[in-house]
Amino acid sequence: MKVEISRRRFLQGSVALSIAGGVSLTPSQIIASAKAATKPEDFGKTKKVATLCEMCVNKCAAFAYVRNGVITKLDPNPHFPKSRNMLCPRGNCGIAAIYDEDRLKYPLIRDGEKGSGKFRRVSWDEAYSYITEKLVKILDEEKDNRSTVAFCAGEGMAEHTFKNFYTGFGSSHFLNHATLCLATTVSGYSLTIGSYGQADLENAKYIIMAGANRAEAILTPDTLDLFKRTRGRGAKLICVDPRFTNTAAKSDKWLGIKVGTDLAFVLALTYVAIKEEIYNKEFVKNNFNDFESYKNHILSNNYTPEWAEKITGIEASDIYEIAREFMANAPRAIYYQGRRTTWSKNDFQLRRAQALLTALAGSIDTKGGICFGKKIPIKGHEVPSPLYDNARGRIDATEAAVVGGSGTWVGFRNKVLEGRAEYPIRALFNYKHNPMQNMPNSKKTEEFLKKLDLVVTIDTMPSDTVLLSDVVLPECTYLERTDPLKVFGGIEPAIAQRNKVVEPMFESKPVIEIMRGLTKKLSKPLFEITKKYDEEVQDMIVEDGEKSVFEEEFNLAKAFESSQEELNHHAVSDYEGAAEQLEKIGVFYPNMDRYFKKIGVNDYEYYPEDKKFYSVRNGKLKTASGKVECNLKSLAKKGIDPMPTWKKEYELEIPNGKFRFVTGRHAQFTQSGTANNKMLLDLVPTNYLWINKRVANKLGIKFGDDVEVVSKVGKTKIKAYPTEKIGPETLFFIHGFGNYSEDLTLAHNNGGRDAEILEDGIEPMHGSTCLHDTIVEIRKV
Amino acid sequence: MARYGMALDYKNCINCRACETACKAENGILPGKDNYRIWIGQKEAEGEWPNISIVSQTYHPSQCQHCDNAPCQQVCPTNATYYDENRVVRVDPERCILCTYCINACPYDARYVDDRTVTVDKCNFCSDTRLANGETTTACQATCPTKVRTFGDLDDPNSEISQLLKTREYKQVKEHLGTKPKLFYLI
Repeated sequence: MKVEISRRRFLQGSVALSIAGGVSLTPSQIIASAKAATKPEDFGKTKKVATLCEMCVNKCAAFAYVRNGVITKLDPNPHFPKSRNMLCPRGNCGIAAIYDEDRLKYPLIRDGEKGSGKFRRVSWDEAYSYITEKLVKILDEEKDNRSTVAFCAGEGMAEHTFKNFYTGFGSSHFLNHATLCLATTVSGYSLTIGSYGQADLENAKYIIMAGANRAEAILTPDTLDLFKRTRGRGAKLICVDPRFTNTAAKSDKWLGIKVGTDLAFVLALTYVAIKEEIYNKEFVKNNFNDFESYKNHILSNNYTPEWAEKITGIEASDIYEIAREFMANAPRAIYYQGRRTTWSKNDFQLRRAQALLTALAGSIDTKGGICFGKKIPIKGHEVPSPLYDNARGRIDATEAAVVGGSGTWVGFRNKVLEGRAEYPIRALFNYKHNPMQNMPNSKKTEEFLKKLDLVVTIDTMPSDTVLLSDVVLPECTYLERTDPLKVFGGIEPAIAQRNKVVEPMFESKPVIEIMRGLTKKLSKPLFEITKKYDEEVQDMIVEDGEKSVFEEEFNLAKAFESSQEELNHHAVSDYEGAAEQLEKIGVFYPNMDRYFKKIGVNDYEYYPEDKKFYSVRNGKLKTASGKVECNLKSLAKKGIDPMPTWKKEYELEIPNGKFRFVTGRHAQFTQSGTANNKMLLDLVPTNYLWINKRVANKLGIKFGDDVEVVSKVGKTKIKAYPTEKIGPETLFFIHGFGNYSEDLTLAHNNGGRDAEILEDGIEPMHGSTCLHDTIVEIRKV
Repeated sequence: MARYGMALDYKNCINCRACETACKAENGILPGKDNYRIWIGQKEAEGEWPNISIVSQTYHPSQCQHCDNAPCQQVCPTNATYYDENRVVRVDPERCILCTYCINACPYDARYVDDRTVTVDKCNFCSDTRLANGETTTACQATCPTKVRTFGDLDDPNSEISQLLKTREYKQVKEHLGTKPKLFYLI
């Protein structure tokens, strides 16, 4: 294979290769190259390696079986309490991720118009030099304002490593998935009860799951625990969703709520609990701050079930019944937090109201409620974090009331595009993130990426964002690398580690090696720029000498000197035998040798019941007052309601003949990251537009018909699936399909693309996106 | 020597289809919508939105029933379909002539043509990939997120499956045909 490429280069000189085009390989060629890398002494033997899955965010423990250098099978690793003893469909299909013919194989530099997909293959050294040259020029022109370079990352264990580079670089701009995903629910629960927590679905007796779809958007251990217990088997599950999902099918009661009106539903439940005085009075008395204000607020606003019925479409009698049942099951009643909560403008208030309702039942820091659990302490390692005097603050800081360390992605993008930024944003480092797919209004994202002078993307697959990059650095897949070990705190805490299963294929590398190579190259030239413009640094040099200042503070390569294996060993060096155990079985926690037991053909016990960390706060929550916060007065100054309040503007008008669009997931797909996975596409080959059957009949739309979904900002084509599982005013399809990139052979133009049609409004608290606020119409094509 | 069977706590099934992917990876089954050894039967929910009947939407994980009285084995003209020492219904690729009598005879639609082995193949409880190596689980059981399946020896009174069948009610599929299936759906 290498010969083939080098011959091509020899014959044609510098050839513009499309990313996959020039190096197309058949699966058998890929397997052959993997086999060729096998050491003779390993031939014929089967090796079993403990890894952690990266097909989604859960990080389930798995064992990979390797024979003759090829991964033959992934199996669940039962040692990990978080993932119990299972591997979901996506986990099983990790093999198709590593052996995907379309993988990024070599470093590439753009060799054509941006977005043309034309790249030339370069060596790692050429790529590093190119990046360094560009950055030196940009930073010189921007007088060492490090914040002109932004950093963004998708979720993953090596995000930590990439972030060390960001820290050393000294930019103010880190952007990640938070405001495209869970920022509002994490902060809604944290500001109200001290932490997002872990819903104890193994012991809860009553669960309201609204919008969250745990039968399809699998989350561990929640999914694993919950669905063994619904339908009269220990837990009553109330599913609230505009769609009849698989979760609805496994629930005890399903309510088809009107999109975006959940806050009215929760406020009405709260009204009943307070009005009828059925809440957990003792808990409220001891643990609430300013309950009187909340009580008066709810009652004086008359958030009655009858009021909510008109807004939500849920019958008042159902709301009364659920509120009463919820409180009757206190303190084992949970209003489930949810995860991807970028729904509507009121999302932060919705999560606050949910947390307050759960707290009214006293289901906080207790078995069967929302637990905070325990973490296992490990040792960190120091990384350079120099201060740059000319690095300016975040440009998106004023785009929402509270902009955190991961920014407001859409707010940031739009501010740059609209030319409102206080200073130019000129470059972007992107790790394993696909803003072209994961951000609404992808035309704007495309324009944004084209506007930048330098976009460096580290990824495994030629995504739509890769196509719009200037430099592409191929990361190896999760099965080819050891990642930073991670502590999974919770009721049953554990440390887990992803171990390298096979050597990285082609010229791909783990992020730590990419960062090591890059920082070795660019630390010094960038330091020269700082020296030129930074008076503080100039003074430091006078005092301590240039060499010492550089080596002590500004040599970014220092963060990546040790190997990942060494760093992991160091992290758990306080626990005897832990490092070795993590390499062998992937999981460690104190007393595991005594606690961990197989108790049945499917079941394991991780901690004895009396050693589980259900209650850890001892009556003092991690909020400002140590109590449940009803009234966040400080937010009022920033224009945010201090208590959850329903506003008329939340009621989105749906004109006749139009629909409100919602998006989501199913269990055989994880966003655009799995869009090209051969095995998963074998299960579900494309996405479909859910449209109410009666509406479809009227429009003459039948199953499989091609329809165009059109919004104010774009349109996309998709096949129709008429069903009664969705209401007449709503349309839905799965996110992540409809990729532009021609180098994703299977994903290219496959199905509908939500990023194309979604409008890009943001909510006021954190500037999170509102993915369910787009009105669309459809046409049969 | 054992008599293997499987109990399915099918109400746990969330239709995630991990079992299907695990089976395909374990047994090297070719891609394609008609190539599968196990599947999840489902019924579309009944009713009009928002009055949908929750109980009408069911997920029914299924695979070869490993009948003790297997019609596919009886009709096989070449004895390609046979019982192994664990009473698992197996297929010998050397003998299979692709006559497809077994496809027609199987009341559970559990057989398919495998283009790789050129056999009318089916689930074999991972006999060659797992049981032969001394393992006591199947790929579908091991991978299941909600632990639908319990695989084990029906002849061992102390096995978990025997205990389950003693303490839980169950139903069997098309039992009236006299096939004596060894898949037990726990109620």
